Amino acid sequence: MKTRIKEFRSRYNLTQEKLAEMVGVRRETIIFLEQGKYNPSLRLAYSVARTLHTTVEELFIFDD
Amino acid sequence: MKAKKLLWAVFIVALVIAVFLIAMAQYYVAVALVIGTLIMRHREIWSLIKTRKLPPVDERVRENTGKAIRNGFIFFAVATAIMMLPFGGVVTRNLDTVHILSALFLAAGLVYLLTYLFYDRAEPKMTQGRLKMLKTYLLIIGISVGVFIHNALYALFDVEEPVFFIIATIISPLALAVGLIGSLVVFIMGLAGRPS
Repeated sequence: MKTRIKEFRSRYNLTQEKLAEMVGVRRETIIFLEQGKYNPSLRLAYSVARTLHTTVEELFIFDD
Repeated sequence: MKAKKLLWAVFIVALVIAVFLIAMAQYYVAVALVIGTLIMRHREIWSLIKTRKLPPVDERVRENTGKAIRNGFIFFAVATAIMMLPFGGVVTRNLDTVHILSALFLAAGLVYLLTYLFYDRAEPKMTQGRLKMLKTYLLIIGISVGVFIHNALYALFDVEEPVFFIIATIISPLALAVGLIGSLVVFIMGLAGRPS
């Protein structure tokens, strides 16, 4: 799984720490999400997408 | 708020258990419990000192804690069953129940701590190849410990088996050493390494 979190984060000038605080998770969770090393729940994926003013489909890219 | 309550709950439970252990003169287990709790909650403590705020208990932390508790409990249950069933007589003749329970508690705590660190730190940074390597080494440890238990059982019932004796005294310890060193190296490399 690939994500565009970093791209959207820099678009809004957000640090990993700030985004983590806004979503209500730890910074490590954002780091692992950005690297596609953690599969989030639908709730968390939606929460991150909403914070970055985008959709889940835009943010997460699933490659088969 | 939830994180603060959880941290307090962990420290109060650890303190109560430590008081019980000290009352039973199991000082080494009490010290291990305190050190284990500090290692387990070092991120929260560090964040509290640095920013005076606690990091939230998010779904990843909850998942990892759940997996680590499950592993610690399975280990405790299996180890207790092994100690009570085949070795029950020998163990209770030589050791008292408090010592046995302390050792089991200590080992289960160590399993919890290592698996938590693995899920939280090492696993996300590891490649598929390294994960497979770690599984292989852990399998070697499991087989060599299994062979040891098998031979210990035979020794208890005074059955002589030269082939199994050689396996138990030479091959099994060697396999155990290879497995332990290999898994430790892969685990530490995963902890220290950067995410790939």
